[in-house]
Amino acid sequence: MSDEQEISNVNSNSQTDEYITFVIAGQLFGVPVLKVQDVLSPQRVTPIPLAPPEIAGSLNLRGRIVTAIDVRLRLGLNGRDEGDEGMSIVVEHDSELYSLMVDSVGEVLQLKASHFERNPPTLDQKFREYSDGIYRLDDKLLVVLDVTRLLDYGREVAA
Amino acid sequence: MDDLLSEFLTETSEGLSTLDVELVKLEQNPNDADLLGNIFRLMHTIKGTCGFLGLPRLESVAHAGENILGKVRDGELVVTGPIVSLILECLDQIREILNVLEATEAEPDGDDSELISRLNAAAEGKLADAPAEAAAPAAPEAPAAETEEEVEFVPTPASETGNMNVAAEEPQAEAVAEEPAAEAAPEPVAEAAPAPEPEAPAAPAPAAAAKKPAANQEVAKESSVANQSIRVNVDLLENLMTMVSELVLTRNQTLQILRGQKDSEFAAPLQRLNHVVSELQEGVMKTRMQPIGNAWAKLPRIIRDLSLELDKKIDLVMKGAETELDRQVLELIKDPLTHMVRNSADHGLEMPADRIKVGKPETGKVLLNAYHEGGHIIIEIVDDGKGLASAKIKEKVLSNGLATEAELESMSEQQIQQFIFKAGFSTAAAVTSVSGRGVGMDVVRTNIEKIGGTVELKSVEGKGTTFTIKIPLTLAIVSALIVASGRERFAIPQLSVVELVRASGNSEHSIERINDTPVLRLRNRLLPLVNLRELLKLPPQEIEAEKGSAPEKASDEAETVESEETAVAETPSSSDSSGMIKNDNFIVVAQVGTYSFGIIVDRVFDTEEIVVKPVAPILRDIQLFSGNTILGDGAVVMILDPNGIAAATGEIAVSGAAAEGAAERHAGDNAETVAMLVFRAADSAPKAVPLGLVARLEEIDLASVENSGGQRVVQYRGALMPLVQMDGKELKTEGRQPVLVFSDRDRTMGLVVDEIVDIVEDRMNIELGTEKQGCIGSAIIDDKATDIIDASFYLQQAFSDWFAGGDRGDAEDGAGGSKILVVDDSPFFRNLLAPLLSVAGYEVTTVESAAEALELCEAGKAFDVIVSDIEMPGMSGFEFAEAIKNNTRWANVPLVALSSFASPNDLARGREVGFTDYVSKNDRDALLHTLKDTLAEVRGAA
Repeated sequence: MSDEQEISNVNSNSQTDEYITFVIAGQLFGVPVLKVQDVLSPQRVTPIPLAPPEIAGSLNLRGRIVTAIDVRLRLGLNGRDEGDEGMSIVVEHDSELYSLMVDSVGEVLQLKASHFERNPPTLDQKFREYSDGIYRLDDKLLVVLDVTRLLDYGREVAA
Repeated sequence: MDDLLSEFLTETSEGLSTLDVELVKLEQNPNDADLLGNIFRLMHTIKGTCGFLGLPRLESVAHAGENILGKVRDGELVVTGPIVSLILECLDQIREILNVLEATEAEPDGDDSELISRLNAAAEGKLADAPAEAAAPAAPEAPAAETEEEVEFVPTPASETGNMNVAAEEPQAEAVAEEPAAEAAPEPVAEAAPAPEPEAPAAPAPAAAAKKPAANQEVAKESSVANQSIRVNVDLLENLMTMVSELVLTRNQTLQILRGQKDSEFAAPLQRLNHVVSELQEGVMKTRMQPIGNAWAKLPRIIRDLSLELDKKIDLVMKGAETELDRQVLELIKDPLTHMVRNSADHGLEMPADRIKVGKPETGKVLLNAYHEGGHIIIEIVDDGKGLASAKIKEKVLSNGLATEAELESMSEQQIQQFIFKAGFSTAAAVTSVSGRGVGMDVVRTNIEKIGGTVELKSVEGKGTTFTIKIPLTLAIVSALIVASGRERFAIPQLSVVELVRASGNSEHSIERINDTPVLRLRNRLLPLVNLRELLKLPPQEIEAEKGSAPEKASDEAETVESEETAVAETPSSSDSSGMIKNDNFIVVAQVGTYSFGIIVDRVFDTEEIVVKPVAPILRDIQLFSGNTILGDGAVVMILDPNGIAAATGEIAVSGAAAEGAAERHAGDNAETVAMLVFRAADSAPKAVPLGLVARLEEIDLASVENSGGQRVVQYRGALMPLVQMDGKELKTEGRQPVLVFSDRDRTMGLVVDEIVDIVEDRMNIELGTEKQGCIGSAIIDDKATDIIDASFYLQQAFSDWFAGGDRGDAEDGAGGSKILVVDDSPFFRNLLAPLLSVAGYEVTTVESAAEALELCEAGKAFDVIVSDIEMPGMSGFEFAEAIKNNTRWANVPLVALSSFASPNDLARGREVGFTDYVSKNDRDALLHTLKDTLAEVRGAA
């Protein structure tokens, strides 16, 4: 992983990457805009009994079944307050669609690779695991969410 | 045309086209090893298939081509223009032969030795230095047109290699132009072309000939097999299928909306859309259909190898190989099928010597038979081998601790045979290299059940075994029952749903509990129940009600429906302390293999065609779901997997069947179960009559009752039917009243009753000694004392001569005072049969056990016929029959078996031990007929 990061750092030093930003529990996050298929307003979600708690259920997105993941729970945070419906970002992983439930979705930012930094080692273990690194923005910090790791349940089971 | 051949033609034409392109590429990049490897492989494949199909001429040409390519690959030859030309020539020759092959289905006669020798020469490196040599001297000998082509052809290798494409194509185009006749009759030309070849001594002639048909081919191809079938990537088809599935769903959705609207102008176009979509769906499904023969292709080889390895003679017969089924299903049953056929040949069939010993033909037979039956495909695997040895299975079951001796004792043969589907079970005494590796029938069964299929087994020791596999035609779209538990909806595949039962406090079906485990009495059997709500750990009703609509604000519509539902459900559940099971429930009775169980759900909606979609990988380990789907209203629901539920609730198919069988058997031990029709008449006490005696249930209009000869009659099916009432009271004059119709030959009698209550299959303890007229006795049915009425009494009331010997054929030529011994442990049947038989003119003796019957035999009593029950405590009917047949005195007395369970297996076994015939207990007519026939036979013989 770290190797890959270094390479991407070298390559992208001079260029900018586009990220779609969202907020979970007051923290700003971002995922590469190219990974995002859709941004959804609250949907009718069918809960899946016996599934891990962070799996909110599945929903119908234009005829495709999308698995909804509550990112808050996945990150080990508290669930959203009742009545707070939040929004969702749909990403594709292993040719399956997942809807990441977040608090709110912000704008698309162009971020300079030179502002990218690795995770500080003191970061919460879960954050470290699912984060690619941090962007230093002018007024705040943006955590780059690693969608692949976030959704890679198989690896977790294997480990 | 032969499938194999047409497939070969398609494939080879494709291969040749690819080769053309690749060879040209190779010429440009002579050092591209991958390319060369690919070319060599393609050529090799063509050669190999030709050899396989027995096409020697093609094979030899292809072989020469492969040869030269081999040298190139090995670096012995350098790729040059001439070599490539020569190989292309070789390809053309192959193409030409293929053309004829396609037209006539046979290889044309002809000699390719000249081309081959040139190829071989080239392979040895002789051609490489003199590219034009071969062509040049030939030119004068060839006809003008050909020369012309040659002239164009010859310089090509010398010039830029990049022109090869053009050079190869141009002459073809010209050939077409020059020979318009070829267009009109391409095939004859193609056929004729090879003929002159042998005469043509020089190199260019065949080359030219090869080109001519090649040109013709362009024309002929329009109609060729190669063009009529195309190869399509499976992914593409799958994708298409998914799209169509979506379309079907969208259509369902649209239709649902339409249903809610009256007089919509969309109705007509939507109807049309509906039809088109259905047809489209069907069409796309067809593209996925493949003949089951594809899955069988390997079998003849396997059987052949097996017969060598095992020294058995095996004849594999395959029927219905053209039966089509979905590709996906086909893939999934391939392995189980192979396994089962292998098993049949290995375990099933005996060694030739053993077969001869038991009087069977030396060659054993394994029959595979496939056919369609109502949305399913049935595959039978039949062998005429030694069958399953119950004794061996029992031994194994005991040694593996799968069941105790006592449990085994109470199982029927069929139940014992089911054990071969248990994990780690193999009856082969020795593990051969072929089977008995422990991956056995359990895996087969699991795999078949995974795709919603079932596998049944029927085996007669010494005669053979038949496996019957029943699988759905397709998995992509299935019909499913939509149910709800709490606020969630789920789909249950219709295939595994047997019936729906509504259980509520005030109906006859109510959920009972054994130590908090819910069970349901269903037709006098206990049905294990699974509460879906508990199983899926859904929130209990109260919590759900309190929680309100927080998580699902978005679905307001569903919300209101649900909250209503919850409110309704609340009221009755308040009386239920646990709150988990309401008083009013729906039970979906599902069957997995032989194990049935009930799933408690809150609501049942209708059935819907659903498209099964796999669940996200994250959820794959939840065994209770087999997939998910989108319903007509756009909601996502999970598809419940009955197999998973059965497994999760601790019951695996075999043990379930065994337990169930034991229960059934247990019932049989105490008293026979018999279907009784329960009704009310005269007084409030329930009455019952064996269902077998009742011909029909009718409701008559009392206004139509007439009087005739002092009897009340009604016109019924073109005749007069006397009506009898139990208490002899006057009938009302209007309204309708139910009537039990008893029928015997052309006579019918109607017993007027007040109410038909139910049909109960019950084991009965008859309390005898009633003095009431027209009553055999009383029994406890459904926890109530019930009078069992004597139908014959009322029959006699209607027709005083009903049973009187006078006009009864039975009595005259059959019975005539014949002595009958009835052996039955159930007092009920003894008491039912005895009067029946005696009024039919027989002299009846009844005993309650086989031992007692044998005592009579010892005592010197003689009978004309013995009617014996099969299921009896102590000595069973089978043992009794064997005992009698070994006894000199009664050895020739015909024996009729009487049983409530008449499975074909029992029947066969019955005949083996000496029963003359077999009659079901509830079939009175059959018994009388059988007795008559049996006696007539004996007399005829005597």
